[in-house]
Amino acid sequence: MEDGRMRVKCNFSGDQKFLENGRCVSKLESMGFRVGQGLIERFTKDTPRFKDELDVMKFICKDFWTSVFKKQIDNLRTNHQGIYVLQDNKFRLLTHLSAGKQYLEHAPKFLAFTCGLVRGALSNLGVKSIVTAEVSVMPACKFQVMIQKM
Amino acid sequence: MACVSAAEPERQQKIRSWMGMTVHNLYIFDRNGSCLHYSEWNRKKQAGISKEEEFKLMYGMLFSIRSFISKMSPLDMKDGFLAFQTSRYKLHYYETPTGIKLVLNTDLGVPNCRDTLQQIYSTLYVEYIVKNPLCVLGESLQSDLFSSKLDSFIRALPFFSVRAA
Repeated sequence: MEDGRMRVKCNFSGDQKFLENGRCVSKLESMGFRVGQGLIERFTKDTPRFKDELDVMKFICKDFWTSVFKKQIDNLRTNHQGIYVLQDNKFRLLTHLSAGKQYLEHAPKFLAFTCGLVRGALSNLGVKSIVTAEVSVMPACKFQVMIQKM
Repeated sequence: MACVSAAEPERQQKIRSWMGMTVHNLYIFDRNGSCLHYSEWNRKKQAGISKEEEFKLMYGMLFSIRSFISKMSPLDMKDGFLAFQTSRYKLHYYETPTGIKLVLNTDLGVPNCRDTLQQIYSTLYVEYIVKNPLCVLGESLQSDLFSSKLDSFIRALPFFSVRAA
């Protein structure tokens, strides 16, 4: 991959796989970002301006999630200081994968795009953020949104 | 693991016409003859050979029977091989257009199982194996979700009853 960094050749295919996995995940996240930006423009073209940050997050949890995944976020929690946790108990991209711990190590690949989606949507609404996801028991997963004060 | 709920014994008593019927085991083969999945529920007698040999034997039999039937059929073939029965059990067969073969051994009283096998294929195999990007098609099925859903499905069949040991 031509990215200006020196590529260290390892004999351990496990290491290479790990590096490539990380690159794939960040690539997926950036793709999701661009898609999220586009989607939010289309979904909000007829809606009025949002009152505050919490209103934006509620829109993401209800309308945005419904348009993309045909269901709403099941639980939204916040510390009112810029951290939001969106919990989806039956995340559509994981339901057919497993109903517990099997394939858990592969779950991040399926969450990366959605993290980017949320980050892109928020970005075009004027909210800068960092979005991460965690899974402990599939198909439930949590997306953590950390608002960056500019 | 699938759980036999407390309502199960009552249901069995209600469905008198299905009393004593059961499903013995299920095989799933792919187009190349490898056995993707095998489960058993009520098998009283083993084959006496290793599992690998058993799968080869089963697949070989299916292959031969299908070719025999198509050659010797006195009329134009429609569905081909459906089932065979012995004095103790009945073997039901269903093959998908993609070459996935499902074989179900049941009690004698069970009528045509083709719909059941078709349902197993479309609601379980396609949903939980084909739609799972981490399942490599052609290899033996690893998904726990598939196994547990299959188990619940079979146990919920009207002609399934757990015989007292």
